[in-house]
Amino acid sequence: MGAACVAGVGMIPFGKHVERTLVDMGSEAAYLALEDAGIEPGRVGLGVFACAAAPRLLGEMTSGQNIFWEVGIHRIPILNVENACTSGSTGFVLACNAIAAGQVDVALVVGAEKLCVPGVGLLNSGETELDTRLGMVTPAGFAMRAARYIHKFGASAAQLASVAVKNRGHAVLNPYAHFREAVTLEDVLSSPMVADPLTRMQCCPMSDGAAAVVLCSREEARRRRRTVGVKAAILCTGSYDNPVDLDRWETDYRGCAQGYEAAGIGPEDLHVVECHDAFTIAEILHYEALGLCGPGEGANLAVRGETRFGGRIPVNVSGGLIGRGHPPGATGLAQVHEIVTQLRGEAGGRQVRNAKAGLAHCMGGDKDGDTKSFTMIVLAC
Amino acid sequence: MVTREEERKSAGTGKLPIVMPGILDIPADGGQPSLLGGSCPSCGVRYFPRPSRCRRCLGPVEESSVGAEGTVCSFTVIRIRAPLGLPEPYAIGYVDLKESGLRVFCLLDPQAVETFRIGTPVRLAVGALGRDARGAPCLRPYFTPSVPGPGGVA
Repeated sequence: MGAACVAGVGMIPFGKHVERTLVDMGSEAAYLALEDAGIEPGRVGLGVFACAAAPRLLGEMTSGQNIFWEVGIHRIPILNVENACTSGSTGFVLACNAIAAGQVDVALVVGAEKLCVPGVGLLNSGETELDTRLGMVTPAGFAMRAARYIHKFGASAAQLASVAVKNRGHAVLNPYAHFREAVTLEDVLSSPMVADPLTRMQCCPMSDGAAAVVLCSREEARRRRRTVGVKAAILCTGSYDNPVDLDRWETDYRGCAQGYEAAGIGPEDLHVVECHDAFTIAEILHYEALGLCGPGEGANLAVRGETRFGGRIPVNVSGGLIGRGHPPGATGLAQVHEIVTQLRGEAGGRQVRNAKAGLAHCMGGDKDGDTKSFTMIVLAC
Repeated sequence: MVTREEERKSAGTGKLPIVMPGILDIPADGGQPSLLGGSCPSCGVRYFPRPSRCRRCLGPVEESSVGAEGTVCSFTVIRIRAPLGLPEPYAIGYVDLKESGLRVFCLLDPQAVETFRIGTPVRLAVGALGRDARGAPCLRPYFTPSVPGPGGVA
């Protein structure tokens, strides 16, 4: 790894964009990323479009070709990628691999999502799966891990909820965030129960939005300013052995270890982290998998403020999925957008001081009690 | 309201379709139903539900019961709009099966949603619960406390 660099990033504010189409949102993010990179469309050698649920909800296919043509990109190879919540970061990994292989000098990855479609309920992992037919819905898998965590480590509902207070507080500082108002611990705990012990404010919202990243080779980066190096970009899948570990995700630990090894750095070298806080319990478990603290210490880490903006290792300064919002196809690239903005020193009111290395961690989908996809992207200037 | 006894009878007569074919062994005499999974004759790996091939050796998998009794490993109660016409609220969980050692995901008794705890002993039941993909009523398996009362303590 280490062959690719981020040359530019772009995104549109996340939220409920009922009037906007997938192509409209995706092409705007693509334009912003190209403009940020200062790269002409004709120089892009590979296009990857990532989207998780919208093609099924809208009945559309191969939207990527429509989006790329809106910004003048055609003739080149274009991939349409779906990998649940890691769709965007999976696209990033594919583009890095193509650059590392010397196939292209410049690649554009666009992630967009449209979930705010009338009549859409909770997302699941496919209606032909037995789990889905027996009532499995996305919050439930996380709620059952939360129940195990509380049982095993004696964590409190308030400790879990503190993650939502932190991330919603961070989102106030992020103009791209779905939610811009801070919430209190009482707000979070008294919001309606979704799946015991997770209340509504402990669940990320279903959002619309788009984000895009221009990647280039190291040689191309030498001629440019404001580029950020990709130290590692890895993708892996769950193990699905029975009995599954419900206290943590085995994949999370395996994937983080792979990511750190590929990057040649450890958790102590990081200054800023974006992780997949789809639900409060997830962020706590990811602290532990990422090695930001030991097993069972995640809930305390959150309460002590060490992962807050201004703390020892700020996590989800963008607001995370809980505050910035979660359009699954775009989320992985929005995380990269945040880390790149931080490492460039361009994050304004939410700038983490002297941020030189950061990572974006993402997980997607549920199968047999494990995750379907895991990505970790380590960036450094 | 359909009583458990009536549910059992209707399950036994097989009037309603099962939510997924091949996952339940329902004795015609109204005896204890069990989950039907598979086991690989060469590797000994057990599965629920039964896959078409063994994931380890890719050989055929024989149908076999994976159990009817176990303990709750974890659970949650879903309190938002229920999918598939399931009751509101409804409970689901992972159950560690005594017979096979498998940890299976399943519905928990909708008439006992507030009583489940980690470690609650449970046994399998089958009843008319929710609707299938075509919107028709169907049978679903669920685990019910082996001993009535909170946490399985009478």
